[in-house]
Amino acid sequence: MNALEIKNVSKSFSGHQALHDISLEVPEQTIFGLLGPNGAGKTTLIRIVNQIIRPDSGEVNLFGECLKPDHVFDIGYLPEERGLYKKMKVGEQAMYLAQLKGLSASEARKKLTNWFERFDIAPWWNKKVEELSKGMAQKIQFITTVLHEPKLLILDEPFSGFDPINVEIITQEILRLRDNGATIILSTHNMSSVEELCDHIGLINNSRLVLSGPLDEVRNQFARESYKLTFKGNIIAFTNALWTNYELITKSSNDDIHSCEINLLNGARLNDLLNTVLPVIEIVEVKPIIPSMHDIFIEAVEGTQKHEEA
Amino acid sequence: MSKVGLIIRREYLTRVKKRSFIIMTFLGPLLFAAIIFGGVYMILNDSTTHDVLVVDQNGILTRYSEGTRQLESRFANTFVDSDQIIYHFSKEDIDDDMFKSSAYSLKVVIDEAQLNSGAGTPFTYKTLPSLTVKERIKSELEKGIEQFRVQENLKLDWAVYKSMKVNLKFVEIDVENAGQASLDQNKAVVGFMFSVIIYFFIFMYGVQVMRGVIEEKTNRIVEVIISSVKPFQLMMGKIIGIGLVGLTQFLMWVVLSSVVFTIASFTLIGDAMPTPAMVDGNAMMPMDDASMQVAQLMENEMFLTFISIDWPTLILLFIFYFIGGFLLYGALFAAIGSAVDAETDTQQFMLPVSLPLIFGFLAAEMLLQNPESPIGTVFELIPLTAPVVMMIRSAMGFAGADWLILIASMIILILTFLLFVWAAGRIYRIGILMYGKKASYKELWKWIFEKA
Repeated sequence: MNALEIKNVSKSFSGHQALHDISLEVPEQTIFGLLGPNGAGKTTLIRIVNQIIRPDSGEVNLFGECLKPDHVFDIGYLPEERGLYKKMKVGEQAMYLAQLKGLSASEARKKLTNWFERFDIAPWWNKKVEELSKGMAQKIQFITTVLHEPKLLILDEPFSGFDPINVEIITQEILRLRDNGATIILSTHNMSSVEELCDHIGLINNSRLVLSGPLDEVRNQFARESYKLTFKGNIIAFTNALWTNYELITKSSNDDIHSCEINLLNGARLNDLLNTVLPVIEIVEVKPIIPSMHDIFIEAVEGTQKHEEA
Repeated sequence: MSKVGLIIRREYLTRVKKRSFIIMTFLGPLLFAAIIFGGVYMILNDSTTHDVLVVDQNGILTRYSEGTRQLESRFANTFVDSDQIIYHFSKEDIDDDMFKSSAYSLKVVIDEAQLNSGAGTPFTYKTLPSLTVKERIKSELEKGIEQFRVQENLKLDWAVYKSMKVNLKFVEIDVENAGQASLDQNKAVVGFMFSVIIYFFIFMYGVQVMRGVIEEKTNRIVEVIISSVKPFQLMMGKIIGIGLVGLTQFLMWVVLSSVVFTIASFTLIGDAMPTPAMVDGNAMMPMDDASMQVAQLMENEMFLTFISIDWPTLILLFIFYFIGGFLLYGALFAAIGSAVDAETDTQQFMLPVSLPLIFGFLAAEMLLQNPESPIGTVFELIPLTAPVVMMIRSAMGFAGADWLILIASMIILILTFLLFVWAAGRIYRIGILMYGKKASYKELWKWIFEKA
């Protein structure tokens, strides 16, 4: 079953179209990467799922049901622009936020004590938020987001403000929550964490969905017949040997070891390439190039922009 | 607990637990008492002795005494020395340098020509005396000059002249309420005190609503919260919670003030207040019979006013208009807070909200002078001024058509309150998510009708 289904959702604000006919599906118990440049419409989409704003048209289904007020208890939302009441004590504040998400006071206290011990921050309970560092406050926010064990977690840039050690802790927590049954929508500009965590992605650019699907499929879709050749020998002889069926993308040299990235064109195969260059060089390594999410992001975004300009 | 309940509780508890709230709640009545009693105490116990030199250039007030070979007061009943004021007389003026080096603390020059020309009488001092001291010197001089003119110029007997003077006092009788002395003017004063309280609390706590909204916006916690509750619930929870803080402070002040005033009037003023015996013996303040009577009458009138006010109605209406007015203005202040990023940006929106409130206060002040003014009815019906203005009529009591005005005023207030809360909620839900852009009135208007 899909945790979230968005069907033909559009939304505009006083003349400006924020979302244009977006449809996407988030399968249950997966981590879904919601990507896109700044201002593309991700936050608007997230706010619609959180029922902060309503779509002009289209439909949103959560766990097979049309979006309804009680669904706020099933969602945990960590907005990108987030904060806490500075003058309130950490524990008091966490209790308040937990109760707003429908937990009783005793449940909230029990769960919070648990999390505070797990994150080793029990002594912060009676501190005021203004005494905490940014990273500490981010931890509290993460806890209050997941505390009520929501079925759908929406995390907008969850790693900002964390040092690498805490990034690792949060990463492990996200994976653990997924394994325990939660579905997670992760919105981030950090493409390496997308590669590390996400099972599915959706990319929004200029208020339209330009790309979506399982991460592997998306990457294969963008994969070309490209290889990275590492070799010893004369680089000039090597480039001369390449005929029209091969496109040299990059080259780099380290002493007498050279590395080149090559695109195969017109149906040429790796064997053809090797046959062509073997007489002039000595091969050290051959590796297929799989496009990174970083490259896919840039290609997809620039591709749609060119498309629109044309 | 419901979500709004949780929000109300947080808004209430965080404010009530604040040190500034506790200090203000306990210090407020003490400060208030200190100002009132301190003032009274200082007036009654002004221990400084003033040596006043009266320069009587034409010999109006003084005559040469063969016995003491000095100038003395012409009339026995004028310029009687007291603990506070000792009079000295001279025919010749002294210059400023001499005055500075002299033992006198005050100097006043009486010159017949100057008196007749209507020019002011020079009153020179080293340090400015209290108002009462100045008033007493003035009245003493007036009495002396008056007596001189009556006795020496007109050759009239002072006692006869005094008996001719008339001091009228009105006893007001409302024909609608025949047979009973009307105390409307006094009741209006009591009502005005409640007006002041409502005005003061709406301003003080309305601004707190605005600050609270701005705080949530700048803290960026607002998006977290409205993913759990509706913006309208958050706004109402905040307004109600802060309103309850205001009511708490008010009730605490009432209780604490009564305690402080009771204690203070027993200990502090108890022995400092002039008792009739002391006045008779002329020990403290010379008080003539007329002012004694007035004092007694005042006391009497205050008492009569107090018992003739319909307190249950007044208190009930006070609570109604306090809550109604606060919700009305609270919604406006919340909308302002949501439309800006920082308190410094609030000015352009504050003025149109403060103006009706200030206007209501001025109207109440005007009604104090003229409680039956028909313009008052207009302000009682306008919902933005009604909470402040209606208190005056509430204290005076309602008769006949007044009840209709009251009911109309209450209904209009409730309807307007619903309208304002609705509109403010519409502005609020969009405003709290807007950052960096300064909203204009046009945009606010658009937000009210925009879909979310």
